[in-house]
Amino acid sequence: MARLANLETEYPVLDSTVRNFCASHGIFSVEDFLIHDLYMLAAFAEQNNSSERLKEGIAQVLSIIDDMHQPWLNGMELLEDAKRNKHVFPTGIQGIDLLLGGGIRVGQLTELVGPSSSGKTQVCLRTASNVARNHMVLYLDTGNSFSPQRIAYFLGKTINPSSAQAKNQFLQKVMSNISCHSVFDIFAMFDVLHQLESYLRCQDGRGGCQMRLLIVDSISSLISPLLGSSSTQGRALMTSTGYLLKKLAHQHNLAVLIINHTVGGEGGYSKPALGDSWKCIPHSRLFLSCDRGSNNYNVSILRHPSMASGKAARFVI
Amino acid sequence: MGSHAKAWLVEDESAREMLDRVLTERPFLLLPPLHRVPLRVGNVVELVGPSSSSKTHILIQAAITCILPKLWKGVSYGGLGHSAMFIDLDCRFDVLRFSELLNHRIMEAANGSSSKVGCHQKDSEAQFERMKPYNEELFALCMKRFLYIRCYDSSEFLATLKTLHYRLQKEREVHGVNVHLLLIDSIGAFHWVDRGSSSFPLEYDNRKSWHLQNVSEAVVQEIRRLLLVHPMLVMATKAVVLGNKYSTNELTCLL
Repeated sequence: MARLANLETEYPVLDSTVRNFCASHGIFSVEDFLIHDLYMLAAFAEQNNSSERLKEGIAQVLSIIDDMHQPWLNGMELLEDAKRNKHVFPTGIQGIDLLLGGGIRVGQLTELVGPSSSGKTQVCLRTASNVARNHMVLYLDTGNSFSPQRIAYFLGKTINPSSAQAKNQFLQKVMSNISCHSVFDIFAMFDVLHQLESYLRCQDGRGGCQMRLLIVDSISSLISPLLGSSSTQGRALMTSTGYLLKKLAHQHNLAVLIINHTVGGEGGYSKPALGDSWKCIPHSRLFLSCDRGSNNYNVSILRHPSMASGKAARFVI
Repeated sequence: MGSHAKAWLVEDESAREMLDRVLTERPFLLLPPLHRVPLRVGNVVELVGPSSSSKTHILIQAAITCILPKLWKGVSYGGLGHSAMFIDLDCRFDVLRFSELLNHRIMEAANGSSSKVGCHQKDSEAQFERMKPYNEELFALCMKRFLYIRCYDSSEFLATLKTLHYRLQKEREVHGVNVHLLLIDSIGAFHWVDRGSSSFPLEYDNRKSWHLQNVSEAVVQEIRRLLLVHPMLVMATKAVVLGNKYSTNELTCLL
């Protein structure tokens, strides 16, 4: 947060009189203004000798603060943005697409929860192969589960048999749209996401192939180690991760797919990991499970912005 | 001396006048589904519940009732005709669902009035087609009364609150709209993040550090000050973590 002294070059109103007055009230940066009572400050400024200048200074800081939040939008502008940018991407798996009414939505976080070997990574790979035909995909892999052979297999199933060379070229093109990063702790993930944010800020607006899908496989292996009972840092990091993902999804029009594991709950039922504080973060939560010894999977809705929870479907990969 | 004492006894207004004044300045806002609760402008309501207990849905319903007009082109919609402001700290607002619900309310009110007249099936369909441009016009009018902002952390939220006074003044002067409803989705959204903000000792004694207590106090103070100058009904949701006995039913339907 900018110290007031450094802002003087840009805003000459914030000269030393203003700064000394603020310092006498314990305000040294713009952030301090946010937790101070500005009306009391203005009242003190009235009683001061150079009250005009101080009031100008306070007004200037208020206009700086006005730039610090997102713009206010009305309902029509929101709707415009949703219709223009927030499309739905089909996952390529019929059962899931039917259940979700099209697929996963851009601008929203979709969480896949399930016990081990319930098809979560397979669903992610299938979705990645589907979206990568036309857009770029970023796959954050925490457990070395990304498999290029599987993606090639999914792509191979759906393209028309033509010459081997054309097939190869197509494969090359689609595979080059997917970038996979291995992250093994949460700070590495924050690093990658911040780099992604700067990259997307430059890319937005230019034409060509845009990034539209971000997959995190799996977020529970990054966050679970931090959630001890004594420190609050773990939950703070978890919430910050959630908000960073939501910001990327909304401002840069990405669909985000997150994988979470299950832990044992009461009565032997399994429940999603990461606890109750995580429940408020994803927009949609899907519970996956596998029929033993076959390729049939079940998916049911735990939470969805426009559908009732409990709706279920079956699919095959 | 005598005149001063007498000045104390002169009344300002009668009780009836006071009641009239208070009821116009701070009217009752009966918004479904909380219409049985006597909420007045200037009250602050907190909706508390575990995740997925339709708290946001109540806010959305209240917003829709607020932005619909009372009477428009002969059809009664039963709304208040005021603007509503929505501060989204949860960042999960779905505008498509909001517009669906608004459309549904508009159609319901329009069909309700036509069915009272007793039309036949074909007549009502023709009337529906005729009403379509009016419905779209009304839809646009209502959506423009809904003001939305999202905040990704506490500093953005505090920045929004501090500049809200000027924004409301500007809205009143430029557009002539009065905001009577302020909705905050998930007031406890940044609880953990603020709690985890390390408050390392700062170099000056009187400098306030950025931790949960100072941030919460600043938020409460700003909202209180705002309500003095711009009386509004404030509805805030808060997600809580209930004890274990409520979470067993969660996955029974799936297994």
